[in-house]
Amino acid sequence: MQVSSLPRLRRRLFWAVPVLLLALPLLTNEYTQFVANGMLIAALVTLGFSLVIGNLGQLAFANTAFFGLGAYASAILSATLGLPWIVTIPLSGLVGALGGFVASSAALRGIRAYYLAIITLAFGELMRWVYVHARPVTGGTNGLALPKETLFGFSLSDDKVKFYVFLLVAVLLIKATSNLLRSRLGRAIMAVRENEVATASLGIPTARIILMTFAWSGFVTGCAGALFARHVGHVFPESFGMIQLISSFAMVLVGGLGSILGAVLGAVLLTALPEYLRAFPGLEELFFGLIVGAVLLVLPMGLASLLRRASPLFSERYYRE
Amino acid sequence: MVTHDTPTDPLLTITDLEAGYGKKPILTGASYDVRPGECLTLLGANGSGKSTSLNVICGFVKVTAGSIRYRGTEIAGLAPHRIFRHGIAQVSQARDLFPDLSVEDNLRLGAMRRGGDSAAQTLAGIYERFPRLAERRKQATRTLSGGEQQMVAIGRALMSRPGLLLLDEPSGGLSPQFCEEVAQIIDSLKAEGMTLLMVEQNLNLAFRAADRFIVLRDGKVVDGGDVRAMAGDHDAIVRNIYL
Repeated sequence: MQVSSLPRLRRRLFWAVPVLLLALPLLTNEYTQFVANGMLIAALVTLGFSLVIGNLGQLAFANTAFFGLGAYASAILSATLGLPWIVTIPLSGLVGALGGFVASSAALRGIRAYYLAIITLAFGELMRWVYVHARPVTGGTNGLALPKETLFGFSLSDDKVKFYVFLLVAVLLIKATSNLLRSRLGRAIMAVRENEVATASLGIPTARIILMTFAWSGFVTGCAGALFARHVGHVFPESFGMIQLISSFAMVLVGGLGSILGAVLGAVLLTALPEYLRAFPGLEELFFGLIVGAVLLVLPMGLASLLRRASPLFSERYYRE
Repeated sequence: MVTHDTPTDPLLTITDLEAGYGKKPILTGASYDVRPGECLTLLGANGSGKSTSLNVICGFVKVTAGSIRYRGTEIAGLAPHRIFRHGIAQVSQARDLFPDLSVEDNLRLGAMRRGGDSAAQTLAGIYERFPRLAERRKQATRTLSGGEQQMVAIGRALMSRPGLLLLDEPSGGLSPQFCEEVAQIIDSLKAEGMTLLMVEQNLNLAFRAADRFIVLRDGKVVDGGDVRAMAGDHDAIVRNIYL
């Protein structure tokens, strides 16, 4: 394969996958369609998380909070303010971005590494407290239900209709993140990960880069929150707790830390696996743990590394070997 | 405060500079200047404050007293990224490259603050100066030899088109063959009018490249002069540095 033709082939492959996925609703039943929709949401959550802990190299635990902020923003905007759900997606992204900015603002005071990680964890827990206690706005422990809606005459209660919207949002955000990582800003994000002092010595304001990365991660995850709100039709505080955080963390690691392809693969595998393991009642957790452990033992750089070894078509420019 | 400099004014003026690590003072009142277009070498035994001088100028070590003026502007106490934007770039002893990024990414990061077409032109100029880097532009820098990594470090600093280039031990850890290449690089930079402030333990390289030298001891300037005036007799300097 000509090396110069690789980027073109990679671009074609990128667009071929969603085009092929357009046919998926023809092959699914109600249940499998619901699971497929969940995979698209998980892919975006994992992507946003991987951007911070993989590409920026900053351990952080606030992504579940961005997810919750996006979901609640979407639910509040559509249920309380009556905005069409589709319009709430970018607005939820902006709320998530604001969350990212606030959660990482301690970086402006030079706080990094584990200390910043603990601050992001505290931010996540604070948000959960808000979801429960800001009852007039969030509905408290009862949560908020989204109103039934149609989009261009199609019911948004139909999982197959939702799938096309989710797919469009996922493709746009994955492409935008990929472009961002290949831009000058992306190069600076990697430089901060590799050596922050050296990055600062090149005139790059590293704290600002950290804030921008968290904000973009918050935007992606906030949009995913809006999709999640429509996916389940109801948002509850329990959906954005430690279980969600650990699950997203596992998806990032199983897919490949800092890899866009890995984020998608990790999300697909770890969303499908619990569903498949339902066939083994009582043993689901055991099998789940064993399979995740085995993947990480055999492929410490995640599933993306397997594909990259198979073909240079799957290599990513800023993915750390 | 900004003052307008004349062609005869020093580019960098350091006055009664004091700095250190924690409570340990390293620079204890150093004063010297760097003139436009010259190569000034800082000499001294280990711990005399040579590398600390460069790190203080770049903002990596805090100034406790004294002044650093660059083109008439006080830069002491500014953050490293602001000092860099004034036009001071450093090639550190550790080179501080981004090992997993490609040669080209490392170079482009040097021009992150400028970008645009001018960065592309400067990059082409760097590849012309270091053809070996052009051949390895897609390679991760961790896969390069020490000499090639030094080329990337110098090239990256040049990408910012600095007014003052600080070189900390440019020959450190390199083979004699590559030391000669470093000397040639410095010669070509001088020929282009670049102002250089260098710390170098290899006295052959230091005296070959420098126009002037100063000797630091216990954080103060104790000697200095014109390299050409010494006519190759470096013994007195060596005694002053080490004895």
